[in-house]
Amino acid sequence: MPEFDVMPGNKALAHGVRLARVEVIPVFPITPQTTIIEYLADFVANGELDAEYIHSEGEHSCMAMAVGASLVGARVFTATCSEGLAYMHEIVAQAPSFRTPLLLGVADRTLGWYWSLGPDYSDLMPELNLGWIVNFAETNQEILDMTLQLYKVAEDYRVLLPAMMSLDGFYLSYSQERVWMPDQEAVDKWLPPYKAPYPVDPTINDKFPTTTLAPPLHTTYRRIFEEVLQDARKVIEEVDRSYGKTFGRSYGGLVEEYKTEGAEALLVTMGSMTTAGRRAVDKLRSEGEKIGLVKLRFMRPFPDIEFRKMAGGVKAIGVVDRMMLHGTRGGGAFEDLKSGLYNSDVRVPIQGFVTGMGGEDIPIEDMYLMGKKTLQAAKRGRVEKEVEFVEHKFQAAVKPVEMEWGEPIFPGSDGCAGCGTSIIIRHLLKILGKDTIIINPPSCSGVNFGAVVRVPWILANFAAGAAYETGVYRALRKKGKADKVYVTSYSGDGGTVDIGLQSISGAAERGESMMWLCYDNEAYMNTGIQRSGSTPLFSATTSTPAGKVWPGKQVRRKNMLMIMAAHRIPYIATASLSYIPDLERKIRRAAEITRAGEGLAYLHVQQPCATGWYFPAEKTVEIGRLAVQTGAWPVVHIDHGDFKIDVKPKELRPIKEYLQPQARFRHLKDEQFEIIQKDVQYDWETLLELEKRGKFPGY
Amino acid sequence: MSQDKKVIRGFALADTSVRGGQYVGNWRVFKPEVDYEKCTGCRLCLLYCPEGAIRADEENKPDIDMRFCKGCGVCANECPQKAIGMRREEEAKK
Repeated sequence: MPEFDVMPGNKALAHGVRLARVEVIPVFPITPQTTIIEYLADFVANGELDAEYIHSEGEHSCMAMAVGASLVGARVFTATCSEGLAYMHEIVAQAPSFRTPLLLGVADRTLGWYWSLGPDYSDLMPELNLGWIVNFAETNQEILDMTLQLYKVAEDYRVLLPAMMSLDGFYLSYSQERVWMPDQEAVDKWLPPYKAPYPVDPTINDKFPTTTLAPPLHTTYRRIFEEVLQDARKVIEEVDRSYGKTFGRSYGGLVEEYKTEGAEALLVTMGSMTTAGRRAVDKLRSEGEKIGLVKLRFMRPFPDIEFRKMAGGVKAIGVVDRMMLHGTRGGGAFEDLKSGLYNSDVRVPIQGFVTGMGGEDIPIEDMYLMGKKTLQAAKRGRVEKEVEFVEHKFQAAVKPVEMEWGEPIFPGSDGCAGCGTSIIIRHLLKILGKDTIIINPPSCSGVNFGAVVRVPWILANFAAGAAYETGVYRALRKKGKADKVYVTSYSGDGGTVDIGLQSISGAAERGESMMWLCYDNEAYMNTGIQRSGSTPLFSATTSTPAGKVWPGKQVRRKNMLMIMAAHRIPYIATASLSYIPDLERKIRRAAEITRAGEGLAYLHVQQPCATGWYFPAEKTVEIGRLAVQTGAWPVVHIDHGDFKIDVKPKELRPIKEYLQPQARFRHLKDEQFEIIQKDVQYDWETLLELEKRGKFPGY
Repeated sequence: MSQDKKVIRGFALADTSVRGGQYVGNWRVFKPEVDYEKCTGCRLCLLYCPEGAIRADEENKPDIDMRFCKGCGVCANECPQKAIGMRREEEAKK
C-alpha cells in the first residue's frame, strides 16, 4: 500500500472502520453518507473486512441493530445523517444508558428545513444532549484518525459511551484529499478488540446492561453520567497523545488552537469551515490584526473549561455557527459558549454569526469579514448586534421554461434519458387529472418531477408516506372533498417495501380510501443504486456488490402482492410500463375504487431503470416487456378477491433473455441462472393455480 | 387574530401555475429522425416517450419537440415500423 492515497472523506471513514476491524455494520442509505456504506460493502464483499454487514430496512432499525450488536460486545459502526439521524433518534437516546460504545458517522446534512442535501448541523442538534460524545472533523485525514481514536475513547471503561463523528456532507464526504493510511499491524496493536465489561451473553455472564432504573435513582445517574462525560475529556486528550506517539499525527483535546498567541480576538469554528477560517486568520494576521482561531473539535463534552482559560486573555470572541437554535436568537456553539462563560470570572463580548445554512459555502472572504467584525467588538468592548446572519443573494442558475401547457405535467424533467418512471407518472397524471394530490416519499421521482408536475406534490418523510397520505385524505373527507380530489402516493420501492411498509400496512388495515402507487426500480436509485427489499436475487447493487465473497444480493425479494393481499384490501395490481393500456386500465380502476370509498387501492408498477440496472437507455420498454414475458414480473390483479393474470404468455421465455442484457446480472454463473429460472417457474405455476382457484386466499 | 395574507412572512411556496421544466435538448447525443413515409401513425412513440416531448400531428404522426428530447432512443427502439432512426447529433446537423 502506498504511503498516502487521495480519497474522499467517506472513503477515509470506511478505511478507518476497516482498520478498526469493526465486527458489525448495519446500514441504510442516505445522501451524502451513502458511499461510506458502499465502500464498506466493497470491503466485505471482497473479503477485505470480515464483518456482519446488515442491510436494514430503515434507520430506526439500523440504529437498533447497532445497539443490539454492541450490547453483545461487538465493535459496531453505522453511518447516517439528516432525516436518517432524526429517524434514529429514539434509539440514539437509548444508546448511552445501555453504555454501548459504538461509532456513528454523520455526514452532515440539513434536517427537515426545506430539504437541502448540503450540510448544516441541524441534524446533530436534536442529538447533542443525549449523552453521546460528539466530534467534528475538519479534514479527511482527521476523519480517518478520529475513527480509530473515537473507538479507543468510547471503549475505555472510564467512558463506555457511544460516539458520533460529524463530517460535513459534500465538503468532506465527497471531496478528495490526501490521506495517510496507518499500518494495519500498528493499528491492531494500538486498538485491541473491544471487550465489553458486561456482554449480553448468558453463557459467560449473568449481569447485563439495563435501561430501567427506579425514578429516585434517575437524578443520581444523570449526575454520574455527566461526570463520566465531562471526565471523558481526559481520555480524549490521552488517546490523542498516544495516537500522536504511535502514528505521528495528533490534534489536541476538545479544541485546537491556531495562531492564538497574543490574540485579542478569537474566531471559533467547527468542521470543514475551519480551513477557510485559518486562511482568513492568516490574512488578518498579515495585516497586523491580533486574531486567532479556535477549532471546536468536540461539541460534547463542551469545552467550557478550555474556553474559560482562553477567554481570559482576549477582548472578544466570534462564533461561526452552522447550527441555528430557533427561538434563542443564535447558533448552538454561540449559546453554549455564552452559558459556559457566564458563571466564570471572564467577561468578554461574544459575537454570534449564523451562516452556511443548507450547505452554503462559507468562503474565506466571509470568514475574513466575520474576523473583522469580531476585532471591532474587541476594540469597542461590546458587540453591536449579538447575532449576525451572514447571507448571500440568490440567483437561480436555470430559469424554468414558461410555456402554455394543458397537461398536469410539463416536459423537461431532471429524469435520466430513457427514465422509466417518467413514463409511469405521465400516464398516472393523464388519467387522474389536475385535481390530484401526490404524496411522495423521498425517491428519485421527487428530485426529477417535483418541479414539473402541476399538481400539489408533497414530499413526505420516508417512513411515513402512507401516514401523510392518510392525514390528507381524512381531512379531505372531513371537508366533503373526498370525491373531488384523488389522493395517491408516488413512491419508490424503498418507500414501499422497506421503510414505508409499516405505514402502508396501517393504512391498508384501516381501509383508507386512497391509492398507493409504487414504481419499482428494484433498488434505492435516488441514493445511487443500493439494494432494497425489492431487489431480486443475485442482483449487483452498490450495497450488494458481486465480489470474491458476495454473489450480489444473497436473498430473494419480498412478495408485495402477497403482503398486500393479506390485508384483504379491495384492489391490488401489478403492472408494467411496457403494457400501457393495462397500466391505464388499472389506474382507472384504482381511482374508481377509492372514489367509491371502498378502501386502499394498491398499484405496483415495475420500472426498468437504465441507470441502475445498467442497460442502454433505449431498451427501457423492451426490458420491461421481457420481464413480463419471462415471468420475472407477472402482471396480475386482485379485484375484491378475484385474481387474474392479465398478461399470460403461452410459454414463458427463458429468464436469461431478460437478465443477460442487464449488467447488474453480468457476474451470474449458469447455476445462478438456473436458480432464478426455477424460482420464476415455481412462482408462475403458483399464480396459475391461484387463477384457477379464482378467489385469492384470504378473501 | 389576523387572517390577512399580507402579514405572512417567510412562507416558501410552490406555484403550480408557473412552474415548468427545463430545456433538456442539450443532453442529447443521438437525435431521433422520423421517416414519415414509413410511419403509420400508431402513436406508440407518444405513449412511451419518457419526456412527453412527442405530440401527434393531424395524421397522428409524431412531432418531436427537440427542446425537450433527451435522445434516449426509446421511441426508435419501440417503433414497430422502424420509422425512427437515431443519428449522432453532429451528423444530424449536417
